[in-house]
Amino acid sequence: MTSRTLLTVTMVLVSISAVAAPCPTRPSWPTESWPKGGTNNKATELKALEDYAFTTFGEDRQRYGVRTDGLMIIKGGNIIYERYARGWSANNRHISWSVAKSISSALVGVAANRGLLNLEDSICTSLTQYAGKPICATKVKHFLTFGSGVQWQEGYEDGSYQSSSVISMLLGEGHRDQIGFVLDQHQAFAPGSQFIYSTGDAAVLAAIAKAALKPAYGNDAFWLQLFDKIGMSRTVFEEDPTGNPLGGSYVYATLRDYAKFGYLFLNDGCWSGERLLPEGWVQASTTISDTFKSNRGYCSDAEPPAGTIVVPCARTPSGYMWWVNQSPAAEITKPYKDLPDDAYVAIGHWGQYIAVFPSLDVVVARTGDERNFCPDNAVDGKVDGVNCDFSMNKLMSLALKVAK
Amino acid sequence: MSTRNRSGLGLAVVCMVASTCAVDNPNGIRTFAANDVQLAVANAAKMACTCKFVMEMDDDFCKAWVKASPDVARYSYDPVAKTVEASAFVSWAAHARMVDEKRGCVLE
Repeated sequence: MTSRTLLTVTMVLVSISAVAAPCPTRPSWPTESWPKGGTNNKATELKALEDYAFTTFGEDRQRYGVRTDGLMIIKGGNIIYERYARGWSANNRHISWSVAKSISSALVGVAANRGLLNLEDSICTSLTQYAGKPICATKVKHFLTFGSGVQWQEGYEDGSYQSSSVISMLLGEGHRDQIGFVLDQHQAFAPGSQFIYSTGDAAVLAAIAKAALKPAYGNDAFWLQLFDKIGMSRTVFEEDPTGNPLGGSYVYATLRDYAKFGYLFLNDGCWSGERLLPEGWVQASTTISDTFKSNRGYCSDAEPPAGTIVVPCARTPSGYMWWVNQSPAAEITKPYKDLPDDAYVAIGHWGQYIAVFPSLDVVVARTGDERNFCPDNAVDGKVDGVNCDFSMNKLMSLALKVAK
Repeated sequence: MSTRNRSGLGLAVVCMVASTCAVDNPNGIRTFAANDVQLAVANAAKMACTCKFVMEMDDDFCKAWVKASPDVARYSYDPVAKTVEASAFVSWAAHARMVDEKRGCVLE
């Protein structure tokens, strides 16, 4: 080898090492099972956590109290706390609701990591059946950041079912072809110009991931390329009758498996030495998106002008369908005041959470059934001294006192 | 779905005769086609299927978990075929079935 050739090879190697960040190393990976650790004399902190998190009362059908189904704390790669209630166990898969959105986002990352899609692609590059439609001007990155611009009314139990886009998609006129339903809605805003929290955007995202991965990895690509690799093999990812994955709400996994998904993000998208998400993906997923910065909804106290499509004010900033503990705007405090600034969370209806705390090397996974809040005779969020006013900030801050 | 802010059967009856097509009002709020009873029946079929066959919880738990407002839907399982039939007021019915261990339940 000449000195010139040697120099060239050296320069190439230096160049590669400067670009490719190594995956984190761990003594072991919980693909098969989580190792157990201890909480080191935290009896007082544990009691405070349990007194808050597991306080149901009344009949089950009344849904009162703080109704935790499962709670798990991972620190340093070990389970330091795990408890189930209300008939749940380590073996039961629990509904994710919108935690599914963070999973769908990651599946887009998996496809990008394989070079099967680019965030700058039109969505119709993958969803070819919509080619030629105006929606094709919208890019994958727009859906990834709730920025499709598609008009959407995200309503649940508290409002009118008939004016809820999500209920109509999941259970009503849209349920047979949910992606078709979303993409038939009016695109009221330019792509990337308006943040609209939308289960429809997340559903489209999962469909994009499936369409990108399926030619190379088949119909079970989500499992082959993500779930099996991190030990989430029993995950259920439901589909509509057309075969569209329902990536906005209908994923089911055990609590331990949800914690594994958080652990993947805690480890920069790597698992046991293999990079499953592109370098920089976790950082981008947990940084306030350009869409959110562009317009986060109608946040004024004044009445909106007549005829405007009012998009609700978003108070918790979002990256790639993860929620971040950063101030949404100047002079506004961060959403979870007692949690670290670097915390980020996958959040689902009725109190589903996967919270990641990188600076503490901690993941907290929680499943629950918070549907009815407090009864009428509650005072200051309590009935006869028992909590019924659920707060994610409080639950997680109590969990972190156990973990520290 | 919770009972919070819902007025139950009275509302359900009103909704049964509500609109049957999606419309936009002057404030840009859309109203979709399916009425509350249709949605409650579809919800019961889907949620009962998921509760029993995907989450594998027992019948008593699922009865409380599926309960929604308007609380008009009744459902029954076929544990062998892994299907759920739900109905209300004779006119409304929905069917869900367990597809497999990866794809869970589908509302048909």
